Amino acid sequence: MRFRSSSGLAAIVVAAALALTGCGGGSGSTDTSTSTDGKVDGTGKTLNVLVGVLSQYPEQQKQWQSDIAAKFKAETGADVKFETFASANDELTRIQTSVVSGQGPDVYGLGTTFTPTAFATKAFVTLSDDDWKKVGGKDRFNKAALGISGPDEEHQAGIPFVSRPFVMAYNKELLAAAGIEKPATSWDELAEQAKKMTKDGVYGLATGYKDNFDPWKFIWAMAVQAGNPIVDGGKLKLDDPTVKKAYETYFGWLTEDKIVDPASVGWSNSNAVAAFASGKAGYLMMTTSSSLPTLEKSEVAGKYEYALMPTVPPGESSSKNEDAASILSGDNLVVADYSKQKDLAFAYIKLITSKEEQLNYQKIFGDLPANAEALKELAGDAKLKPITDAAAKSKATPFTGAWGDIQLGLLNVTVQSVPDLAAGKVDSSALEARIKDSQSKGQASLDRASKG
Amino acid sequence: MSTDASNEVRLAAESAASRAAHSAAEVAGQEPGGPKSPRRKGLSERNRPLWMLIPGGALMIIIIVVPLLLGIYMSTLNLDQYTLRKWISSPFIGVENFVEALTSSPLLHATWLSVSYSLLAMAVTLPLGIAAAVATQNAFKGRAVIRSIFLIPYVLPSFVVATVWRTMFQPDGIVDKALGAVGIEAGLWLNGPQTFWTLVLVQIWASWPFIYLLALSGLQSVDHEVHEASALDGALWWNKLRYVIFPYLKGPLALAFLIGMLHHINNFTLPYVLFGVPAPADVEVLPILTYVTSFQSFRFGLSAAMAFVSLVLIAIPLFVYLRAVKLDDAESPGAKK
Repeated sequence: MRFRSSSGLAAIVVAAALALTGCGGGSGSTDTSTSTDGKVDGTGKTLNVLVGVLSQYPEQQKQWQSDIAAKFKAETGADVKFETFASANDELTRIQTSVVSGQGPDVYGLGTTFTPTAFATKAFVTLSDDDWKKVGGKDRFNKAALGISGPDEEHQAGIPFVSRPFVMAYNKELLAAAGIEKPATSWDELAEQAKKMTKDGVYGLATGYKDNFDPWKFIWAMAVQAGNPIVDGGKLKLDDPTVKKAYETYFGWLTEDKIVDPASVGWSNSNAVAAFASGKAGYLMMTTSSSLPTLEKSEVAGKYEYALMPTVPPGESSSKNEDAASILSGDNLVVADYSKQKDLAFAYIKLITSKEEQLNYQKIFGDLPANAEALKELAGDAKLKPITDAAAKSKATPFTGAWGDIQLGLLNVTVQSVPDLAAGKVDSSALEARIKDSQSKGQASLDRASKG
Repeated sequence: MSTDASNEVRLAAESAASRAAHSAAEVAGQEPGGPKSPRRKGLSERNRPLWMLIPGGALMIIIIVVPLLLGIYMSTLNLDQYTLRKWISSPFIGVENFVEALTSSPLLHATWLSVSYSLLAMAVTLPLGIAAAVATQNAFKGRAVIRSIFLIPYVLPSFVVATVWRTMFQPDGIVDKALGAVGIEAGLWLNGPQTFWTLVLVQIWASWPFIYLLALSGLQSVDHEVHEASALDGALWWNKLRYVIFPYLKGPLALAFLIGMLHHINNFTLPYVLFGVPAPADVEVLPILTYVTSFQSFRFGLSAAMAFVSLVLIAIPLFVYLRAVKLDDAESPGAKK
């Protein structure tokens, strides 16, 4: 190839210009008009909404979307166009592209632990009092669910949509056969009970050590219950003894107590659900109401209950943080800062967070409402009671843009320890070294966050 | 170069034949003519349709050159989730990202892993591919079926290959059960030190048909007369293979080695799907490391620096190798030099 240099340069400039205009063009709709009675008139407009695909319920999700679109059209005259992402990575890519180019969906559905990262990009609307009124007022939401909407009460971007608190499920027959009256409330008691149930191919606990999320949730819960907030101001506290103790307990189920299936070093959460569903485990750890459809159709249908996970940390007799039964988990909705139809976006959020819609959503998909009244109504349901309790007893993970890195570090300790786990012994000094590594990487990330 | 000259002769002669006015001798020998005589160019120089490069060239610029330049620019910025939104104006920090990548990140370890795993996989796939090509060279009953079967790993998407292998390598999975039946306790495949060998093994399985394909194409280019001649000279199969056939394969195999290595080093899907993120330390290869830095830690600047460093690290041996095998001399693939 031998272009003359000037034409080559021109070609590059043209291409770059093309690429840049490609990024900048597109959106062109004007602001939505709001009439005096607070009704948003969106006739002829289209609201773009990006949400995660619910792989368990593809048909129902489509149906729900078209129903809600019809209702929204009746209310505002505007159409809703739904787009879905298949995985967290997919979601991230979409968000990054939209953040950089300043165009894309108007409303995003985000997982709670991802909200701090999204907030850090400053690409989403931090709601003013006025904005909160447009989505029906802050009071309509479950107070606990607002815990991960922003760094403090004045700066909140995430509007709670659904809660998915973590609980454990237990097999009533197995517990009764082992002479256990009620599920454990401390981690030590849990291990004791599990030992009694472990025999003849049945294990006390089912959990997946190769899951991409579960391991750090255990460590977080046990450490927080022992009074370690993990992030304390600008300081990361993974080198605190409570964290090591948490890992030792979590790994100890396999190496010391021998109350989990040795194959679970290769399991993800769904493998654990399958083991529990086939009646081969007393407890299923770290599950949500979304396991309900699977369990209802399984061998253990009618034989299981949900319960709060223990809140008394390992080796202690009382909890320093009773509220940390689960991480605050679920979905938040955020409105893009670049959106030209924010009022329309708020009107949409108002619609789908109303009591009726939230109850309807729970019925179809199992996720708990973020709407306070709707949640109260469900508390009467005996099966859901422990889960609604957990929703009120959920504690938010630290609200910092560095959380992604910290979470990765916590998970990485488990990933690198799995070979030791499989060999039956996790060496104390090796564990310490891994924690130290995660501590220094996470601290560096926190330092950047404080500057950012 | 002699081969070049002879090629020129051939091409030029063909063209000359159609234009009866010129003699072949006049065309072939001389270097492009003196200043006064109207120079008679070879076909390869005459009317070169350079404009045909425009569509491909434009695409290359948009898809490769522009992102490359942007990437290099990004590597000098402190670009992370906090500055992403107005990324053009994020703070310029010069070479700091490069310093961090080289001194306090696992980049060098990742490079070492990438290169060694690629070389190992290549060292095994080369003889496998050649053997398979030689074995299916002569016609026999069912050859077409065998050849089709050989290509299965190559046509399966990487994602599928990795998913299937991951399922087989589960603790207590089918591989463990099979090895257990003959009394071997294999240990963990998807975690710990053995993961490196898992990656090599799966890569071999997935990529040997590529070598096989190129070796096959090399074998097809061996003229029938050559087989006859070596048979007349009484060469036995090994000698014939070693001294007659293999030289024909040199070009295609050099190309296969090069493309294969690059493919292995750049392979993201296989380790990502097999081991997930965060990957065990023994398979944190370059693409995985770059991905995690970008999309888990949101250090886009640092990650761009890593990508650039790895590009340079790969480009150096690539350049040396290209020179050595003279692949840029595209006129004479597979010919003896």
